[in-house]
Amino acid sequence: MKGARNPSTNAGGCTIGGVPLFIRSIGAIAFMLAVLCCGRAQAAMPLIHLQADSVGFYYDRFLIEAQGHVQVRTSGGMSMTGDAFSMDLKLNRFVLAGHVHMQNSDGAQDGAALADFITFNRIYFVPITSEPDRWTFLNGDFAHPVKGREMPGDTFYFPDLGTRRPFLISTGAVIGAGSFVRFSGNHVDIANGMGAYVPTSSYYVNFSSDINLAQNSLAGANYDATWQFAGGANAISALHFRYDTINKTYLSFEQHWTGSKAYAVFSVNPMTRPQKFWDLLLSDQPSDKFQVRTFTQLATNQTWLQRPDASGQFTILQATWALPRSYAQLAVQDTNFSLLPPGVYDGIAPIIDHPWQLALSSQTLDHRIGHTPFYEHVGYGVGYVHDAARVLQYLQGTPYTTIWNHNLDATVYVPSFKLGNSYVETKNYYVNASVDKNRQWFSNGHYTDSTTSRLTLSKMFDNHFVSYLGYTVQNLGDYYGKLQTVAYPSFVPVVGGVLYPGYAAFRGLATFREVALGVTYTNGGNFSASLLARKHDDFPKPIPNFFAPPPLDVLGNEIQGQYYLGEPTYDVRADVRVRVNDHTSIDVSRGYYFNFGNRGWSPETVIQVLQ
Amino acid sequence: MTKFFSVLSLGVLLLCAAAGAGPAPVTVVTAQILDFEKGYLFLTTGDGFKVATDVVISNGPVVPPRYARVTFDANGMVTKIEVSRTKLPPEGDLTALRRYAVSLSPFKPDPDLVPSANPSLCARTVPGKHVLVAITVQIPPTTPLTDDIYMTTDQSGWNPQAYKMDRVDALHYRTVLRLNSGTMMRVLFDRGSMQSLQVAENGIQAKPMLLCIGDSDAQDWSPRVYKWADQISTGTLPVPQTMPTPYNPAPFPNLPTPPPFPTHAPLSK
Repeated sequence: MKGARNPSTNAGGCTIGGVPLFIRSIGAIAFMLAVLCCGRAQAAMPLIHLQADSVGFYYDRFLIEAQGHVQVRTSGGMSMTGDAFSMDLKLNRFVLAGHVHMQNSDGAQDGAALADFITFNRIYFVPITSEPDRWTFLNGDFAHPVKGREMPGDTFYFPDLGTRRPFLISTGAVIGAGSFVRFSGNHVDIANGMGAYVPTSSYYVNFSSDINLAQNSLAGANYDATWQFAGGANAISALHFRYDTINKTYLSFEQHWTGSKAYAVFSVNPMTRPQKFWDLLLSDQPSDKFQVRTFTQLATNQTWLQRPDASGQFTILQATWALPRSYAQLAVQDTNFSLLPPGVYDGIAPIIDHPWQLALSSQTLDHRIGHTPFYEHVGYGVGYVHDAARVLQYLQGTPYTTIWNHNLDATVYVPSFKLGNSYVETKNYYVNASVDKNRQWFSNGHYTDSTTSRLTLSKMFDNHFVSYLGYTVQNLGDYYGKLQTVAYPSFVPVVGGVLYPGYAAFRGLATFREVALGVTYTNGGNFSASLLARKHDDFPKPIPNFFAPPPLDVLGNEIQGQYYLGEPTYDVRADVRVRVNDHTSIDVSRGYYFNFGNRGWSPETVIQVLQ
Repeated sequence: MTKFFSVLSLGVLLLCAAAGAGPAPVTVVTAQILDFEKGYLFLTTGDGFKVATDVVISNGPVVPPRYARVTFDANGMVTKIEVSRTKLPPEGDLTALRRYAVSLSPFKPDPDLVPSANPSLCARTVPGKHVLVAITVQIPPTTPLTDDIYMTTDQSGWNPQAYKMDRVDALHYRTVLRLNSGTMMRVLFDRGSMQSLQVAENGIQAKPMLLCIGDSDAQDWSPRVYKWADQISTGTLPVPQTMPTPYNPAPFPNLPTPPPFPTHAPLSK
């Protein structure tokens, strides 16, 4: 976002037809929201309003338990009172027991207990008339109970919670059957079952199987405690209390909307730090064979909502078509590295740069080659990059602001080939291998060839230990023909007063070789430890403090993409994960580089709380 | 002699008949309370039993969902209720008690409860047993070697980092969990964020896979991931909280610029 140069006197901000792209992006977003809000039919979902002296929510079992002066009112027009209430949110059924009084459109009746199996539209009732009886109401027909009918064996059972403490204590809840529960005026246990309750104004939990409401646009964090303070069947508003190694402790906000085939997510993260990221994620799937997704990010550097001294934006549109035995994908990316008008902000002039990229590609589905253990897929794509404000590449003095490309890709792999004839898994070895070859041609006269080959041999020793030995070779060549030495001029780097003449042989062709030995110990899901030891033998050779080290993500992990030059010759990484209670694990990992370039341990011990 | 034995046999038979017609022994069961009102005690089986007027109640009110040790007399009348806040060890046969339950209407079978001819695994499962579930997922060959793989489920609120997997080899990751039998969960795999969620083989958003935990001691499940949502033909989509890297004509992300010829750094003249 920030830069030292401002080569253009343009007002900054790419335009098409006189309309800034960013404004067009907002227009597209508004259109998507309109589709999202209006393009779906609301499904009928029973609502249950619950009031009681005490309402407890057991998050790990998705149970609501209420006792004392229980009042239940359903959106179907039924109201009930009783002594005790229990609802299993996942099974979507509840039971009310003790001095039950039920009132519905066909009258009132007293009884011992009532159970509503909402999914199956069955209400089981134990009335007390002259004597006890068993009535079953079918499909909401209260006028014609089926009397004496057998009932499922566990109809009126209350769960045994032992000494377990509720996650949340309240006096009321609104339950959207099979979807959400919203508590008002309550206390939440912030210590995961230890009983450290803090008051909150409202609390919302979504437990539906709809993954669209869980889509999020936040970056990762070492720790994230989410307070969903408002929501319904199709929306959630949440505050996140977070910690990561870069921003430390901070607050974030996220808003979700969902439709039957669409969703939208908006977030600002971190909300309480100067460098903010405003993200908007949109997706619509009008049919089973077509989906369009967009991701827009606005980055600002500002104190609260004061005028930013740096601001950038990018939007990605990704459309996917499912075709017979293949699929096609269009990806468009528009970036504005600065949205500020020309000037100097805090001593820095922003770079005016707004590249535009497009890629249209197609790939076949995985296909088994005859009866062999080999599978293959191939892909082809065309791409386009244009930047009106900045030259993408100079070659022999020629500036290129537009570059076309096309590429061909093929992959062959063996998922798992058994060595050994035993039906006992631990007595066999398994081999898998893959080869991926890609060639990409560019309109300015060069092409790149990349080949990645992997081979691993693995063995499971028992139910606890798994190990593998792997060998990977990646070849990457950037071919310019007669201009090879122009594109990749030879030179001998000097680092710390030491000459490295071997680097002079590098002409744009690199080889990355890796031998890896991994061992994992797992103990029944409560504890696992893994160790990965690697040896790299690359060309060009890694020169300490010459190649830029990979950046760190907010968790403290090194973001090490493909073809990263300068990997330490040896490294070991250990990862330990411990389950603390039913719904929390702690994961600790760190690497060691054997003093390569004075690098001992990796920069951060990565600690993650997984819930 | 024959007459003597006949009389003796008759006497024995009469004695046996007299013994059979006598009062049955007292019955004791432990159960959970559903309700206690209007002279009836209801248990969570749904059955209601008459309570003797001189019933002895100990340890507090008879309210749901407390537990109780209940004593029945020979006529099926409740004579003693010992209430407990905690679950009691099983005692007596609740099914056999049904003969004492009071119900106005005659029993009718429920057609909803007739077992299906082809029940699903979960419908056949005895619930409540701890089962070791080993999940081994096959990932696409294009997955970066240094990435972590996670499992996300509806049971964990679709948290994309709920279950971290361990690498088995270049194409497989594994985790072992202890889950209750009868659990049904919808599952997807990801690389640590919702942006990197798996997609279907045809590139469209994947529908969650259903995992049903049976009641065997251990269970294996081997799903497959065909593709990740953030992998597109031009590489990988930027993740939140990062601006895209400026276009680099060289395919090496951290190639140092040679001192005299700034060929790869796309600088203007």
